Parts: sequence; C-alpha cells; structure tokens
Amino acid sequence: MSKIGDYTVLPLTLPPTTAYPKPARHTLYLRPHAPKIPSESDARSLFVVNVPVDSTPAHFRAVFTKLIGAGRLESMTFEHEKVQPSAPSQAVEVVSTKGKKRKRAANEGSAQADTELPQLWDRELRKSGSSAVVVLVDQKSVESALKAVRKLHKSSAAEEEKWPVWGEGVEDKVPALGSRRYLTHHKMRYPDPATLQANVDAFMTEWNRKEEEKARLAKRQRNVPDEDGFVTVTRGGRTGPARMEEAEAKRLEMEEKERKKKQELTEKPFYRFQLREIRKQEQAQLIQQFEEDKKRLMGMKEKRGKFIPER
Amino acid sequence: MAPISPKRRKLHHNNDEADSASEGFESGGDDVGSQSSADERTTTAPLKQMQARAKHVKDIDESALYSGGLYKSNMFKLQIDEMLAQVQPNYEKRMPGVNEALHRLKSLIEAIEDREMLPISDAIKMLHKAHKIVVPFPDPKPDKNAAYKLAYAKPSKINVVGSYAIKTMIKSDSALSVDMVVVMPPSIFQEKDFLNYRYFYKRAYYLACIAAGLQSTAPDEFTWTFEYLNGNSLHPILVAKLNSKKTKSESHFEIHIIPAAPESFFADSKLRPTKNSIRPKNGPENQPTTLPPSPFYNASLKSDCNFEPYLKLLHSASKQESGFKDACILGRIWLRQRGFGSSISNGGFGHFEWAALTALLLKGGGPKGHAFLSPGYSSYQMFKAVLQFVSTTDLANKPQLYEAADFVPTKSDTPMFFDGPRGQNILFKMTPWSYELLREEAKITVEMLNDSTFDQFDSTFIVRTAQHLQKFDCLVRVPIPTTSPETFSCDHKPHLASFSGRLFEVLREGLTDRVSFIDIRGPDLPPWSPKSPCPEIGEQSSLLVAVLFNPANIDRLVDHGPSAEEKKKAAKFQKFWGEKAELRRFKDGSIRESLVWSPGSSYAIFQDIFTYLIKRHFEPEMSKSLTFVGEGFEKLLPGYGQGAKAFDALKQAFNSFERQIRDLDGLPLQLRQLSAIDPQLRYSSIDYPLFNPRQPLEKPADVLIQFEGSGRWPDDIIAIQRTKIAFLLKIGSLLREVDDSITTKLGLENEDQPLKNCAFLDIVYESGASFRLRIHNDREQTLLERQVKDKLLDQRTREDAASALSTYKRTFLQLPLHTQSIATHCTRFPLLSSTIRLVKMWFDCHMLSRHISEELIELLVARIFLQPHPWRAPSSAMCGFLRTLLFIARWDWRSTPLIVDFTGTLTSNEVTSINTRLEAWRKIDPGMNRTVIFAASNHDTTGTAFTDKGPSKVVAARMTALARSACKLLKDQGMDLNPKSLFVTSTTDYDFVIHLAPKFAGESVRKSSTKHKFKNLEVQSDVNLELVGYQPVQLYLNELEKLYTSTIVFFHSAVAGSTIAGLWNPQTLASRSFKVNLPYASKLTMGTDKGEVELDKDAILAEIARLGGDMVLRIEVHR
Repeated sequence: MSKIGDYTVLPLTLPPTTAYPKPARHTLYLRPHAPKIPSESDARSLFVVNVPVDSTPAHFRAVFTKLIGAGRLESMTFEHEKVQPSAPSQAVEVVSTKGKKRKRAANEGSAQADTELPQLWDRELRKSGSSAVVVLVDQKSVESALKAVRKLHKSSAAEEEKWPVWGEGVEDKVPALGSRRYLTHHKMRYPDPATLQANVDAFMTEWNRKEEEKARLAKRQRNVPDEDGFVTVTRGGRTGPARMEEAEAKRLEMEEKERKKKQELTEKPFYRFQLREIRKQEQAQLIQQFEEDKKRLMGMKEKRGKFIPER
Repeated sequence: MAPISPKRRKLHHNNDEADSASEGFESGGDDVGSQSSADERTTTAPLKQMQARAKHVKDIDESALYSGGLYKSNMFKLQIDEMLAQVQPNYEKRMPGVNEALHRLKSLIEAIEDREMLPISDAIKMLHKAHKIVVPFPDPKPDKNAAYKLAYAKPSKINVVGSYAIKTMIKSDSALSVDMVVVMPPSIFQEKDFLNYRYFYKRAYYLACIAAGLQSTAPDEFTWTFEYLNGNSLHPILVAKLNSKKTKSESHFEIHIIPAAPESFFADSKLRPTKNSIRPKNGPENQPTTLPPSPFYNASLKSDCNFEPYLKLLHSASKQESGFKDACILGRIWLRQRGFGSSISNGGFGHFEWAALTALLLKGGGPKGHAFLSPGYSSYQMFKAVLQFVSTTDLANKPQLYEAADFVPTKSDTPMFFDGPRGQNILFKMTPWSYELLREEAKITVEMLNDSTFDQFDSTFIVRTAQHLQKFDCLVRVPIPTTSPETFSCDHKPHLASFSGRLFEVLREGLTDRVSFIDIRGPDLPPWSPKSPCPEIGEQSSLLVAVLFNPANIDRLVDHGPSAEEKKKAAKFQKFWGEKAELRRFKDGSIRESLVWSPGSSYAIFQDIFTYLIKRHFEPEMSKSLTFVGEGFEKLLPGYGQGAKAFDALKQAFNSFERQIRDLDGLPLQLRQLSAIDPQLRYSSIDYPLFNPRQPLEKPADVLIQFEGSGRWPDDIIAIQRTKIAFLLKIGSLLREVDDSITTKLGLENEDQPLKNCAFLDIVYESGASFRLRIHNDREQTLLERQVKDKLLDQRTREDAASALSTYKRTFLQLPLHTQSIATHCTRFPLLSSTIRLVKMWFDCHMLSRHISEELIELLVARIFLQPHPWRAPSSAMCGFLRTLLFIARWDWRSTPLIVDFTGTLTSNEVTSINTRLEAWRKIDPGMNRTVIFAASNHDTTGTAFTDKGPSKVVAARMTALARSACKLLKDQGMDLNPKSLFVTSTTDYDFVIHLAPKFAGESVRKSSTKHKFKNLEVQSDVNLELVGYQPVQLYLNELEKLYTSTIVFFHSAVAGSTIAGLWNPQTLASRSFKVNLPYASKLTMGTDKGEVELDKDAILAEIARLGGDMVLRIEVHR
C-alpha cells in the first residue's frame, strides 16, 4: 500500500545494529505542505509525519538525495523546534500592537538571540511520532519526490534494497549518539562563566528595557482615553503605577479584614435561639458523622476480608 | 452452589438433632448441663441468633450515638460489630454432625466395660496384648512394683465444656476443637492419690482404657490420636477426628476427650501452690511443709477437678453480663494475633485463661476486694479494662488473690492469680518470659486504644503480629541438650521446661539491658497414635530464643560490673562470667569488674556474648551448633559495617560549608537560610556518601540557599531564573576568593522548561565533599500561581506553570522540611537510617525506584517507626524492613492515605480532613490517572508533594503485589527465609529488556568509581572533578522517558543496574485510523485496507538501540 489518506507512505530501511539485529523499517508519511496559515514556501514544502527520534536535516538530506538526487533540499523545520523565542517577549507583543511598536517588536527578535541560554545538547531529538516540514528547492522537486516514492513502491527490487537506508552517509556529519552524546552534554551543561555572565547581563538589560516600556505604557493609558472615550483606571500614584503584586497584596489584606469582621459578627452567638441552633447543629453533625461512618463501613465490607483477623 | 431448598431442610434437620443431642447430655449433667443445653437451644439456630444480634446491635448503636464513651468511636464500634459477626463460625455449617458425633461418643464411652483392679505391670501388659495400646504415663514412669492398683469404671459424668459450650469460638485455620470431659468415678481413686503422680498414672490408664474401648468398638468412624492438653505432659488426652467418608468436605472439628477428676474429691488445702505433693523417693520422710512446693503439679491436678466449676463460672458471667461473651471473643482474637495460647509453648495464656480472668475480674480484683470491672461495661470496655489490668498489675511480684483470705503465697517468678473458690492459680502454665511479653503486648494495645487521632482497629485485631521475624530482632536456635545436669526439683518439670528456665536465667543475667525482651519457645510435641509410646523430644529439636534489642545498649563494647570493693557482688560476677571478667580501672577512677567485647556490628557483639554464655553455662558442644537468624537483611546493604560514619562526615562538611557561606562578605542580599534537601544529608541514601580528596562525592549533595526578601528581584518568573545565574556566579567567585582550594562550576538544567529553576552551582571541596547549590526565591510561588489561575493564557502555558509550581513546592518548600524531619528522626531512632536504605534497595531491586520517589519511601518507613502499632518502634533493620513490607502489602492506597505524624501533633480533625481530601481526589479522578498514592504528613496535608510524578496505578499495583508475595514467602518459610530471595530482580514480566554494556551497568560503575585500576590514574584528580555528577544511564533514561512518555513505561534498578525494562502502554497497542499527531511511531497495519496504523515496535526498539549506541549491549524482546 503506497498511500494512506492524503499521505504517501515512505518506508525506510533501518540498518541492523549489534544491539538490535532484527531488520526493521520505519514508516514516513509524506504530503505536500498545506498549513492553515499559508506562507510563501508552501508550494515547495513537504509535510513529513512520524520522523524518527534521531532525525537531523542531514538524515533527510541523505534520504532525498537517494530519492531525487543531491542538492534538492533547502531547509527543514521539525515540530516543537524553537523558531520564536519564548514567553516574556510575547507578553509584551500582546500589549504593544499599536503601529509604532511594530518596528521595535521586530527588533526584539534579533536582540533576543544572545539572551537565550546556551545550548546544552549537541543534537536535538524529536518526540516519537512527531512531524517535520521539508523545504525543497522548487515545486517540481516536491512532485518528483512523491513520484519517486510511488515508483519505488511499484519496483520489483528486493524489499531490503529498494528503500532509502536511514542514516546512510551521515555518520560523520552529525554528532554521535550513545555515551558520547551524554558526555558532551555533561560538559555543555557547565558553560563558561564569562559567557553566562554576559548572557545574563544582556537578558537583564533587555528585560529592564521592556519593563520600563510597560510602565510607560501603563502611565500613558492612565491619561489617554480609548476609542469609546473612557480612561482606564490604573493603580498607583503620580510617580508611576504600583507593582501588580503590591496592588494584589493590598486587596488580599482588605478582603481578610472584611472577612474577619463578618466572622466576628456571625460566629459569636448572642441570642438564646442562636445557642440552641448551634447545639442542634452539633447534634446533626454527630448523626451525620455516624451515618458517614456507617456508609464507609459498608464500603469496607464490600471489599472482603477487611474484618477477618489475619492468620 | 447447592440449591437453596435442600440446604434449608438440612438446617432444620440439624436443629432437631442438636436439640436431641443436648437433651442426651442433660441426663448425665446437673444444672450446668441443663444450662448449657438451654443456651444451645437459643443459639443453635443461626438465623435467629443473627436477627437477635442485629437487633441488639441496633439498640446499642442508637444509645452509643450520643453517649460516645462506650466504644472508642463510632467507626471503631461498627468495625468491632462487623468483625464479631464475621469471626464466629456458623456452627451448623462448619461443624456438621458435631452433635451426633458427641452423642455417639458419649454412648460409646458409656458402653465401655469396667476393668477390675490390676497391678500396674499387669494392666500395662493386658492393654498392650489385647489392644496394642501403650498407656501414656507421664515421666517419671510408674514403679512397676507399686502397691496401688489401676482400674476402669464407668464415668460418673460426661459433659461438653470449653468454648464450644459457651459459644465463644472463632474461625481459624486449624480444626475447631470441642472439649468433652469424661469425669472419672471416685471409686477408682484413693484419698492420697494426689501424691507422687499416682492420680496421673491412674488418669493415663483410664484414658488408655477409653481409647482401647473406643478403638475396638468403632475403629473406622474416627481417627484416634493421643495428645497433651496444652502441651502439659501430665495431661494426655484422646483426640477424635471424624472420618467423613460420606461427605467430601473435610470436617472442621475434632473432639478432645479429656478425663477429669471428680470434683472436690481431693482436699483443696493440700493442692495449694505452696504445698508439696511430690515426695522424694529415697529421702527421709520429712514433714511435707519443709519440702519445696510443687505449684505446677498441684495446679495441673487441680485444673483436672475444675472443668465444671469453671464452666459454671463462665456461664454465670455470660448470663449476668451481656458483653461478656463478646469480650471473650475479642480477647481470644487479640491473643491469637499475638501468638498466645493456652499451650505451654505458646505462653500458657489462651482464651480459657482470658475468659476466666475476665469472669473473676467481674467479681473481684479491684481495690479493697471490689470488682475490677463494673457491671454494665460494654464488650469493648471490658476487653480494654482486662488489658489494662494485665498491663498495670505485676502479678509475678504481687500475686493477686481472689477470695482466698487464708492463703499466703510464697515468692516465685511466675505470675499468680489465685482463684480461691476453685483453689487454682489460673496462670500456672505461664513462664516468666511469656508473662513479661504478655504485659508488654497489653501495654502497647492499651496505648493504641487510647490513641484518639488514628483508628487502631486494624492493629488491634486484624494484623497478625506473631510472625517472629517481624516481631523480634534476632532469633537463635539453641539445641536441646540430651542430658541435663541432675538438678533436683520437687515440682513436675520436664527436661525441656527446666532447660528453658535455666537458659532464661542465664541470658537475662548475661545480656542485662542490651535486650529489652527475651522469648523462649520450645517445640510442640505432635499428636501420636495410641499404639505407639509417647514421643520424646528428639535429638534434632531445638529451642527458639527470640530477642528484642535495646538499640541504645546493644552494641556497647564494655560492660561495667560491680566495683572491686563490693566483694560479694564481685565474686558473683566472676563466677558468672568466668575468665571473661577482668578488673579494670576506668577513667572516672573507679576500679570495677568488667567485660570487654571485640568491636563489630550489634549482631556480632550479641552473637559473641550469647555464644560465650552458652559455652560457660551449658555444654561447650552446644555453643557450636547455635544458629543465629537476623543479621542477613542488614548484611545486604552496600558497605555494611564500613561506612557508617560517612553520613556524619558529609553532615560535618555541610556544616562547615554553611559557616563559610554565612561568613561571606559582599553577598548582594542578606542570607536567610541554607537548607539541605539531599537524601545523603538525611542519612537515607542507599549508598554511603563516601568521599576523599582523590575521589570527590559522586553525586553532589543538593542544598538550597534563601536570601532575605527584597523588592529588587524582578517581577517575572523567567527573569528571576536568569537573575539566579548571576547570584550563583557571584557566590562562586566569592567562595573561591575566601578559599582557593574550592572548585565551583555553574551548571544549567531544565533547558526546555523556562519556568523552572535553570541553574545550579556545584561546589567541590578539597576534601572531596561536593554540594549543588540552588537559590530559593519565594516570589516564584505567587508568580506561578498567578499564571496557573490566569484564564487569558492558553491551556499549555498554564499546564507548564502548574507543573513548575508543583516542582517548586516540592523542591523549595517540602524537601527542606522533609529532610530535616527525616534527619532528626534518624538520630532519634538509630535503626531508621538502615531500614530506609534497605527498603529503598528493595524498591530499587524490583526496578521501581524511578517511579516511587525516595521521599515516599522515607515516609513509608518513617510511619513504621512513628506509628509502629501493633509493635514498638523497630529495633533492627530486619524488623523495620519486614514490617514496612507488611504495611505495603496491607495498604489499600485506593481508599486510605498514608499519614505520617512527625511531631505527634496531628489532631483527629486534621486526619479527617486528609481523608476527605483523598475521597475528593477519588471522586474527581476515579480512574486514578493523576494522583494514585496519597502520602500526607504534618508538613504536607495536600498529600501529593512526593507522589505527583508517580507512581502510576500500574506501578503502585506492582508494588503491592510484590510486597504481598514477599509477605507470603515470609509466612511460608518463616525463619528459613533467605533474605536475598526478597531482593531478586525479575525481568520476566516486562515486554522488553534493554541490556546495558557492562561498562555502564550499575555494579561495575560502582566498583570503578571506588577502586582505580591503575595507580597513576589516581594522581590525575582533575579528570574526576570533571565527571562529578556524570550519570550517562540516568541521562539516557531521562531522554527515553521524555521521548516515549505515553507509549512505554521504563523500569530500571540503579543498584543492580545492568538492565532497563520496558512495558508497552496497552492502550497504544491496538491499531487505529491514521492521524497526524499520534504520540508514537506508527506503521501501516497489514492485512486491512481501512488505512489503519499501529504501534511500530520494531522501529521504536531500533531507535532506542541507536540512541543508546555503545551503551546498549542488546535488546531482548519478550512479547
């Protein structure tokens, strides 16, 4: 079977290892790339599902070389791969969608390159069953690649030989796995202190800048009415908005006070009927407890042997 | 299942039978007989009985609801009721035909012909010739030329007594026994027969005649054996077991035919415990008063006269007090769970003694002769009060007399509760050691029942505590010497009894306060056929000495004896210890007799002393054939007996590290606290934290540092994490400035989880001690909590935040408290540390250590020490370990939380709220996909701090199954259990096994790290520093787990370490329609055209092999 749904099936031959000598195959599912948010390179991209965990661009380059000849693969992106750096910057972007800021937001991307922490691994792994996007040089290559696969399905060559072999010809191009990988990782975990320091400094400067900006924005919001003519009320004095945490702490404090007051009012019984009611409640609670115990006991009874002394 | 109607008919039939049978007994009996039959009539119909019970229970329920005090708590009472309903055998169902059998036996015995008076030798010969029956005479055997004659005459009465008659039996594994007393007619006795065994010879002959008669008239109906009643060799009895050929089901009862003496035939005053009844043969005819008393002999004889009086006593008690019967059953269960029984080898305190004691305490025993138990006590109150009586009254030193004003007891070391009207010490079968143990057990149970926080029902009645290896610290098999030195004793003391008595004396004096309890158990004689002579204690048999250590004193090397000036005491000391005693001058200037033992483990020292004592006081040969059991478990620990000081060394290194940090000038913020969070710093890592200048500590010990709060921290979680890097770098450089022998390295972690802590500082001292420092900032919690609650963020970010929050809470809030608690208790209980390590090793050997956190294991073991009921806190690793296993095996984690009360301050309200929380969890998540085990302590009432990441349901179930099978093995093999067999790793249950290359497998890594192959490598210590904390297999496993989260569960043992086992998630095994985001590698399903895919096991295993590279030797696929 060469197709499943829209996907073309491409089995790969896995070379036997001493640890697992059984001949095995890994199945890739290929499809022309058609993402929800289209981009310019879509037409010459292939969407690949179920990539092996140890995939690298080099691996795929070798596979496509086997299929449609060398030099056709332009780039590739794996699922979960970090394209855009993470959270804090996004938070800012949400706030600053106004026209003026867009330029700066674009700048942020490049500024962040050195604020990222150093890599700890010499080679990323992919989650089992995950996908990737392979960008080829032109649209024709996409078609010819899929065609080549179909042709292979029809060819009468021996099963072992006709499929591309995984990892063939990439041995020297990618960092080794096994204990070497972990040893390298162990070394990379401890980066040079000077780089780290520089990295942290860069990050903090960047972060401070953003904080300031946020503050400025909040300050401005206090004075500028929005489209409907309302002015957003923010906490803080003339000097600047209060830190979120302070505001929250204050609020909690107030709530606590309020609660205490209420409690004092309700908890201390004053009238006789209140006392009586409380006593009644206690009795009801006792009965309820008893009923609950009974129920629990029934539950325990269901699991047999609970009440039979062990022998 | 049989259809209902015939069953009902049978029941009815039996009812009639029972009634007629009891009528039959009435004819022989007096008022007791009729009483018992009346009682039988009311209780034989089980249905009626149950109804009556239910009604009764309901009444009490209603009244107990508000009175509260009658029972411990509602739940406790309900459980007791439930248990009482379940333990009582259904007399009809379990013992079909018992009344017919009794009836038949009665008529058979009544039909036996009288035998005329015969001289002893003729009587023996005749019985042997005609029936091949050997008369079970007690030792010493009767003189053949004695002047008196033996005879048989029809019994004057035949009666059913014991717990069958008053219906206080409980279900048990062994056959239920019904006691049938055959009262011998006074005509065959003479007044003086109580002297010199004459009564017992006649009794034995009488029994042999009954056996002969029954065997000749009904040889096939029953199986006949002789047995000693309660192991008392003066009391042989005949046991009849129904040969039920008709019904397939084995009959669950046996009938004990007990010859009894005619009531009040022998004078009461002659058989008091202070009187002598065994006159020396050759000695001059002294006045009997000057001879030492023979209390055991007298009481044995007296008890033969007292069957009926006691039946009367118990009957009237059960008539007067509604709770009496249930109290007896409770007592009976309690005793059985603790291994006590009426038999001498079981301590001589069984349900009969319990019932008699309760009945007597209802009448007296209190202050000024008032009743100790008030009328109107509920069964539970009665039960508890009797325990209280046992635990608080020292009957050995202060004999209790009931209605015996004229009797003055003499001093002896056996306990005495003298029942005046019946003239018998009801505790006469007890030994000093069994009495001590009984009191201790009672004391523990009273403490348990007073515990208002936890429900102790299970430990009071359900848990069986009699298992020796769980109860005691060391067991010794002592061979019984074949010949005893001729010590003349006036009392009837078989060889075994006198030997164990002497052994106890010697051990008690020799072991002093090293041990808290000594128990000695002799072998039980098996029943024997009437045609063979009474069995003797064989050559091979041995005594079992069980010892409970006193952990504070057991490994003391020097014993201080009396000072040299106290001549008398010193001489005694020297006599006891022989050449071992030496005179020494001690630091405080005193000159004392003393003993010096060679250093070693506590077991080695104990063994030394024990062997020496045996050699000195018994035959030297014996000391060679002693078998000691108990050390085997502790010996399994890595580095046993070597590195005990390693924990303290690391602790000291930590203290100096802390001082150094505190003294640092120039820290940007004020230091608040430095807290240890590593198992190595709380005495609980499996391996000792060994380090030296050439070989730094392999796994740096985790430490947290917290600064005083400051507003200068950024108000953003990621920024906080980054700031920590700068702080750590600063600390590192400051430390190096202070002390240039320190190496510091900053490492990164959690690279793909930006919300979590991202950096740590490794600090390696010249001494080899290494620490891993992380910064604790309490702001993180609020920030993360805010993110979790923030509805604007997408699901994934919130989940990440939740995961980071739980990690934060565990590492920065819970672990410091936990570490401190465990470390404190490790110093409080010397055995806690090794027990934790042993249990951790057990989990590890069964490859569960990746799923069950170390902290959870520590909590489990801590519970065994802090809430040790029904025992005391373990005083050996063996006890602690086996009790932990028992706890796990019994633990129903589905419905009960593990609650550890570190400070003993939990209130019952808190416990209830923890229980409620668990119930709530189960309601939210009945499939137990998230929280499986709920382990709370006073630091963490949420109960999930250490169980959030596992174990999963599969692993938890496996844990229980493994513990259960271990407990079963223990039960089956008992003392012969090989400790190693509990630690064998089995990989057969897994789907596939990854064998690691020997270079990376646990054991060899261990060896290579402790011993260098080449001398010259030792010099290059730089290499070692680089590799501090390098664990390739762990890294590999972490990656595997991350890659195949939902597909494979991995198991690995860090200690044995040569394999990684895996289980496929069964949910992923089925083939399914293709979709893009399957969480596992898939392949097309062959044979169907539906376009389905399935898990591609081969591809995944090949991936695993590629990823492991040189670390993987081979992958073995089981399924």
